[in-house]
Amino acid sequence: MLALFETPAGYAIFKLLDEKKLAQSENLYHDFTTAEGASRVVKLKHFEKFADTTEALAATTAAVEGKISKSLKKMLKKHVVKDLQDQLLVADAKLGNAIKDKFNVSCVSNTAVQELMRCIRSQMDSLLAGLPKKEMTAMALGLAHSLSRYKLKFSPDKIDTMIVQAVCLLDDLDKELNNYIMRCREWYGWHFPELGKIITDNIAFVKTVKIIGMREYTSSSDLSDILPEEIEEKVKEAAEISMGTEISEDDIQNIQHLCDQVIEISSYRTQLYDYLRSRMMAMAPNLTVLVGDLVGARLIAHAGSLINLAKHPASTVQILGAEKALFRALKTKKDTPKYGLIYHSALVGQTSTVNKGKISRMLAAKAALATRVDALGDDSSLDLGAEHKVKVEARIRLLDEGNLRRISGTGKAKAKFEKYHGKSEVKHYPVAADSTLPTKRKFSEVDQSPKKPLIEEIENNESERPKKKIKVEDESEVPEADYEKEQKKKKKKKNKDLEEAGTSGISQVEQADNENVSPSVTESGKKKKKKKSKQADESEKVPEDSMDVSFADTSEKKKKKKKKSSED
Amino acid sequence: MGRPGFKGGKNVVILPHRHAGVFIAQGKEDALVTLNMVPGEAVYGEKRITVEDGEKKIEYRVWNPFRSKLAAAILGGVEQIHMPPGSKVLYLGAASGTTVSHVSDIVGPEGLVYAVEFSHRSGRDLLNMAKKRTNVVPIIEDARHPQKYRMLVGMVDTVFADVAQPDQARIVALNAQYFLKNGGHYVISIKASCIDSTAQPEAVFTEEVKKLKSDKLKPQEQITLEPYERDHAVVVGVFRPPAKEKS
Repeated sequence: MLALFETPAGYAIFKLLDEKKLAQSENLYHDFTTAEGASRVVKLKHFEKFADTTEALAATTAAVEGKISKSLKKMLKKHVVKDLQDQLLVADAKLGNAIKDKFNVSCVSNTAVQELMRCIRSQMDSLLAGLPKKEMTAMALGLAHSLSRYKLKFSPDKIDTMIVQAVCLLDDLDKELNNYIMRCREWYGWHFPELGKIITDNIAFVKTVKIIGMREYTSSSDLSDILPEEIEEKVKEAAEISMGTEISEDDIQNIQHLCDQVIEISSYRTQLYDYLRSRMMAMAPNLTVLVGDLVGARLIAHAGSLINLAKHPASTVQILGAEKALFRALKTKKDTPKYGLIYHSALVGQTSTVNKGKISRMLAAKAALATRVDALGDDSSLDLGAEHKVKVEARIRLLDEGNLRRISGTGKAKAKFEKYHGKSEVKHYPVAADSTLPTKRKFSEVDQSPKKPLIEEIENNESERPKKKIKVEDESEVPEADYEKEQKKKKKKKNKDLEEAGTSGISQVEQADNENVSPSVTESGKKKKKKKSKQADESEKVPEDSMDVSFADTSEKKKKKKKKSSED
Repeated sequence: MGRPGFKGGKNVVILPHRHAGVFIAQGKEDALVTLNMVPGEAVYGEKRITVEDGEKKIEYRVWNPFRSKLAAAILGGVEQIHMPPGSKVLYLGAASGTTVSHVSDIVGPEGLVYAVEFSHRSGRDLLNMAKKRTNVVPIIEDARHPQKYRMLVGMVDTVFADVAQPDQARIVALNAQYFLKNGGHYVISIKASCIDSTAQPEAVFTEEVKKLKSDKLKPQEQITLEPYERDHAVVVGVFRPPAKEKS
């Protein structure tokens, strides 16, 4: 009887020396308490080691699914099929069936077999003498990791540790570079102090020092590809009259070594930045499109990992990086900061200072969504990021030109403002009001319409037409809001006075004044109402009368006209 | 036995707990801590306590009993957790690896923790945690089918199960049969509402213990996790105890 035993290092086939033991499986473990006891029961017939991790992974995956892997097939063909009468003990019944179908070898997998497997497992290290325990553990670990990664569909592109490390390295490089350049400047400044002042650009300075070396060689060296002409001239001049000390060959060599280092680090920094950019695009395309690669990388580094960043709410993303200010403000009950690392993104940078807060909030909200899609979504596309960026840019434009949106309705329509008409109009003296001649035209019109004549009208028909006109005019006004009762009373009184006075012109003017002073509509409307209550509907023709009395108040005229039309 | 660290005015004394590998931090508030295997990093945002022992700095991670059933059991006064440093533990129901990281701290670099978790989301976090800790073997498989991961696991000394499944007794029995050595121990956390939400918790616990007994998992102690969890119990026992010598 053969037993198939899978290990992380390879397949093992054991020969069961004493088959009767399997019948008494409960006591089997007694034999396996020691290594010698174990070797008396089973003997390692063959051990097929996995060639590499890929093969091991394939074998493990097959074992998980209960299928026969290629290496298992090969091994079985070579070593087991020969002894056809032998039974093969396997741990997994499904695998046993598969082997039986394939190789026609009878496989057994029951509780007794399980017990045997268990015992073999307990003495695994001694039975598989060729492999040290540590190696077995290491293989098991590696296999477990690769299997899990395969299960979770891990892709090396999506490893955010690279990004975090790259960003930290970028910062470190900048710091170091700065240190070295400062040191180089100071050191060389002993020999040629003027050069430091003339050449402000660091890389140019370092390259110049590398070419020149000692001051004496300045005039003979060609600096045209590093420096522009005027500066080169200045350098050459300054070299002649420099007040620096002399230094030896050794010293200048060391300084030049330092310059080499600086140039190398500087070029590596650009390379690292390119690498970071490509990684960011591969790992978090939406976030990169929205906030840019450097800011995105810093956000990820600050949060710890992409998934951690995805777990943060948008308000946290907004102020990530400004924790000191945030907690200080929270403790002292002041205003919290409006932006953290997000401030350095292009979109926030291009808005005016007043709108930076709003845009930072909007950008943080979109960035949080983009991060979640990147971290937890299946496919990597930048549709979402691009869409959001368009929205944010539209909002920036809107904020810049003033936000005029309608309040009611959907809020998408632009607010429409009506042209403002100034109510202050110049009043003209109504010249026509001076005329005391009757206007036949109006009178005839008045006559034609059927109306119930006022008692007063009939009485005062010819003599006091102007007054009538006033009265009529009063009646013509459509009754409207009636909140100015005092003024109404005043007017009534005035009218009475006017009637008594009997002077049309004056009365008209006064009336005009009165009407102009107050919203005549209301009072006259009141009066008219009163009169109306006495009689039935009249006054259709009345407005025509009133037109004669032109107060030159165009608005009022318009109102009257409107009322006339409404009455009609 | 650690000397107080005078950082920021916080004086904390670290004392070893009865269980090997577990410590108690006594400061303003007492806390259960484990020695951090990866100094400088927190796994799930827990607090870290650094203590200076002469020249060296030793870092401990605070173990939250409200988040971890094992910590709740320890604080509840369980007699033995059977996870001494250097032991091999099979952890069923590893989730995101918060308690697994503490078990990994306890068993130390010589020990091994096989963490089994079926969920992919939690599995990702588990995998990330396992990357930093070399004594954690992450297995993203269903614990109901131990034959599927038989290639990755050797014999273990202890099985810890926090799976919260109605058939968890059977799951533990199956895994014990495959991987737990004779005389090995098991620690199971039973959630009464998960097994049977209508029955009384005590009845549920008794029923579960009966099931375990029938599978040769002999129970030795049982405690409830009050005040940290409601209607939870932890059962500790031995598997296939060695027959007592009849004198």
